[in-house]
Amino acid sequence: MAARVLTKGIGGLCNPRFLAVGCSSHLYATAAQVKSPQTQADVNVTDKILSLPLESKDFFRLSELFTVKDLFDARVHLGHKKGCRNKRMQPYLFGCRLDQDIIDLDLTAEHLQLALNFTAHVAYRGGIILFVSRRRQFGHLVENTASECGEYAHTRYWQGGLLTNAAVHYGPAARLPDLVVFLCTLNNVFQTHVGVRDAAKMNVPTVGVVDSDCDPTLVTYPVPGNDDTPAAVELYCRLFRTTVNRAKDKRRQMELLHGLMAPQSP
Amino acid sequence: MATLCKVVRSVRNKTLLTTLLTRTRRTEPSGGTFYSTEQPDGEPADIKLRSEPSVSGLKSGFAAAFEQHSDLQQREQTRTRDQTSWTRNESSFASLLRHSPLVQMGPARDQVVVGRVFHVVKDDLYVDFGAKFHCVCKRPTVDPERYQRGTRVRLRLQDLELTSRFLGAATDTTLLEADAVLLGLMDGKEPRTK
Repeated sequence: MAARVLTKGIGGLCNPRFLAVGCSSHLYATAAQVKSPQTQADVNVTDKILSLPLESKDFFRLSELFTVKDLFDARVHLGHKKGCRNKRMQPYLFGCRLDQDIIDLDLTAEHLQLALNFTAHVAYRGGIILFVSRRRQFGHLVENTASECGEYAHTRYWQGGLLTNAAVHYGPAARLPDLVVFLCTLNNVFQTHVGVRDAAKMNVPTVGVVDSDCDPTLVTYPVPGNDDTPAAVELYCRLFRTTVNRAKDKRRQMELLHGLMAPQSP
Repeated sequence: MATLCKVVRSVRNKTLLTTLLTRTRRTEPSGGTFYSTEQPDGEPADIKLRSEPSVSGLKSGFAAAFEQHSDLQQREQTRTRDQTSWTRNESSFASLLRHSPLVQMGPARDQVVVGRVFHVVKDDLYVDFGAKFHCVCKRPTVDPERYQRGTRVRLRLQDLELTSRFLGAATDTTLLEADAVLLGLMDGKEPRTK
């Protein structure tokens, strides 16, 4: 399981493209001579591809993926009892009804939009996304979600130095994930997952679904919401999967448009 | 009469006002009220006005008020039809919450709800009834083989979440489960949406 997590070596992003360029330059007599202007043009086009999504606020049109009503129907607004509340979640709560905390879905919608947008941009730029959840009820679901969008998941016991001591666990040039998505930020003893703190230490941004008993402080993009009901977790998984796939499709489309990649045979 | 004026004044629609004014210029001299059945002439004028609609198209009294309100209603309908579905179907989170069955139910103690069995482990039935957590009930001795995955059952709720504050703890300890008593099967009744 651990070996499945981080097995990428150095230079994930740039290599495939340059390889494609090398293969398509069979028209030139001496590839070495004419390589530099072509790669220079490539670099310019790559810069353009990478900078274009940053110009618009919602480049991937993720606001059409969900509405407040969808969140409500998936029971995202239901929190734990008042006695379980983490005081740091108080700004995200709408109120407390008969001792049960209710999460404000207007805030949730805003935060979810930000989180999905960030995830999409990371996926667009070829980043590694790691889905983490220690809820045994949803372990299989999270792993399936990750495999369906071509990313990674870690739903088992988190060993001490997975991120902070990656060189020892995986080898000298291990590439850390570019984004860690927590479907539940607590572990099985109701404490904050170690991965939240470790990702913060290693400068890895995190997106996390924080329930009313979670601590949102170390999470980069907290999404206040229910993490206990299957309906809610299925909604999050569907949203993240759609986002990542949409972003990757968009990237492929942009590359085809600018003629960088040879079109795949249908 | 006063409510009529209020309605008309609140509609900031020039064309409606102008049509009203052109219509009522004949019948009403003063500015406050638009429709008036009171005539300085007395009855003969009323009778004359009432008979006039068939001739000139001008109405007074109830007929005019009915026409005006149905006109307003039509305009309101066209306005809502023109709006995008996003704005029309958008109801605020607060109103969604207020009208939700969970809130309308009130305190969960001794409320009878309908749940659905989504997982079975030998004699334990995991029943989801639309709240944050599911409840786990023992398979009853009456008709035990009818309780399978997907069966709709009736429950009497005791608690939506089993939590308790133990000595020396800062927060409550939660079991991540609800507590309910299994009453029986739904028995062909209409399943209510949750």
